[in-house]
Amino acid sequence: MRINLFDSRGVALDKQRMSWKKMVGKPISKLDDDAFTRVRVILMNGLELDSLRTKQVALRMSRESRVLLAQLMRVEQHQATAINWLIGADHSPLETTIGYEQAAIEITASVAQLEPDAYLAQGYRHALLEDFDHLYRYAALLDRLEGKDANNIAQGYTDIVPARPTSEHHRAPEHDLLRPYAATATLATKLHALTLTGAEYQTHDYYMNIGPLFADPLARQLYAEIASIESQHITHYGSMLNPEESALEKLLLAEACEVWNYAGCATQETNPRLKAMWEQFLDYELGHFHAAMDLFKEVERRDPAEVLGTGKLPEFIAFRSHRDFVRDTIEAETSLRKDGTEFVDQAKEGRTSLAYREAVNADGSPSTVVSSTYSWMPGTELMRKDRKAA
Amino acid sequence: MQATVPGMNRTGAAVGQDQIARMIEAVEELSPQMPIDTGGLEAERLSYIADADSVGSIPPPSEARGAAGRRAAAAKNTRPALLMNKIGERIAFERTGTRLYDALIAKYLALGREGDVLPPASELLVAGGARDADSSRRAGERPLDTLRRIRAEEHEHFLMLCECMEQLGGDPTAQTPCADVAATASMGLMQVVTDPRTTLAQCLDAMLIAELTDTASWEMLCELVAETGQRDLRERFLLALAEEDEHLEVIRGWLKALVTEAAGTEAV
Repeated sequence: MRINLFDSRGVALDKQRMSWKKMVGKPISKLDDDAFTRVRVILMNGLELDSLRTKQVALRMSRESRVLLAQLMRVEQHQATAINWLIGADHSPLETTIGYEQAAIEITASVAQLEPDAYLAQGYRHALLEDFDHLYRYAALLDRLEGKDANNIAQGYTDIVPARPTSEHHRAPEHDLLRPYAATATLATKLHALTLTGAEYQTHDYYMNIGPLFADPLARQLYAEIASIESQHITHYGSMLNPEESALEKLLLAEACEVWNYAGCATQETNPRLKAMWEQFLDYELGHFHAAMDLFKEVERRDPAEVLGTGKLPEFIAFRSHRDFVRDTIEAETSLRKDGTEFVDQAKEGRTSLAYREAVNADGSPSTVVSSTYSWMPGTELMRKDRKAA
Repeated sequence: MQATVPGMNRTGAAVGQDQIARMIEAVEELSPQMPIDTGGLEAERLSYIADADSVGSIPPPSEARGAAGRRAAAAKNTRPALLMNKIGERIAFERTGTRLYDALIAKYLALGREGDVLPPASELLVAGGARDADSSRRAGERPLDTLRRIRAEEHEHFLMLCECMEQLGGDPTAQTPCADVAATASMGLMQVVTDPRTTLAQCLDAMLIAELTDTASWEMLCELVAETGQRDLRERFLLALAEEDEHLEVIRGWLKALVTEAAGTEAV
């Protein structure tokens, strides 16, 4: 798919309307659709919600942009609805959680390989190992609470084993930060960081909403624990973003980010109905991008190329299993920790994180308890015929 | 765990009658009663039903695996896909049932000596008209042992069904459409049994739903394999059905005992 941000104009904003019925269409099949179709649904819902978030902040900071921002947000709201409502009601909240963690793992693994900045690539690998471990902990909960196999959702693409233990992800806030990319960073670097920030934000918000819906006390604790780590991840990825960017610069990047991701989804989608939706929304986002670019030029009197380079879209996220890359990362980097903005050996971890971790784990570690002795096998651990399983 | 006793429940209209009178005034002024018509709701449902895809498909049997599966496919009047769908449903239900009993055992253990209010299974089976052999076999079994035995039997049923699925050439780890739908239907049961606030009696109410469904579903499965001429499967399923009948009698008997004899205790 050949798209140049500056040349492809998409659909005009005033032509972007959806009825409630169009927004609430047929959901995907949990059983028959490919797991990466669900991964794309989760990702694009996250990006739409982050795009709304960016615009709401911009609305508070930019008098000249208020009308356009309000118009853009109305369409983004309806796009987010159309996408998020694709998740069928037969997904239990915990099954959807498995989908969220799989999305985090496979998307982050792809971004880590695409990222040209070595320091930021390490940042992606660092959090990848944590989301990877979350999948294992939630899989244990799904098995032991609902009696279900997480692989019914993950479909064999993603390993379900521990990595850096979740109980050790808890860092003091000052050690969650990274050095931000520079204004001169490539478009790829900017879009990668924005994509992961939006995805983690969504995961955090989802866990904060569904955590209290569980009756089981350990499930409630596990969601509390992992939601806190997802909040750290928002800071981790969010701190990659250049804090000197203006509100309208961030708006421009958010629209470019959506264009890039919709194009990647449309190119790789296997469900024809969803492929058509990604194409439609790609056209919408090109319309948004051009409206935002006109505003940027008018208000800031700057050349968008300063922010976006040539306008050529970077290589797309690869929606496929990154098993080998993940395994290599586990082997090489599980023991790494953070000290301020730097990645260090376990022994050199920032001291304040140790005190913080001791405090939050003082009454026990939910993620450790739920997965004690857990070893994934096809069909749940109850498939084991040895006496230890009974 | 606390006993369920009378208290300051605020949910009913009788609690704040002055406020309710003002609410009714508002209704009379702003949304007065008219003949009830839910036709629009029905029309929407009909429209979406007409356009809906299925929940999903039944995994195809592997021709390479399972001589019995090939026989089933070849036999007259067989419906192997439906059979696999329903066996998949029972696999999922028995597996989730095992986890339900894990949670129920924790609830029972939390009661400590209060749990002594449950009568032994042998008494319930006699009262329920079970065969002498069944009740005498359970003589001396304490309620905790009964709970653990039932849990083990649910697990054995799950493993047996997995074997049967493999014999038919199916994949016991796949989630069939009926398994998926049954899981959606029973989501509330786990929520009741794992809630720290619920009493043993409230949990047994949830388990009664599970066991009533389980018994009826095993009966249907036995009929289905009889129709498809799978005698070996039918014999194994009838044994499981007999055990499920006993589970139902025990749960029903325990619930009745708690409600009639233990009101006001932590168990109720």
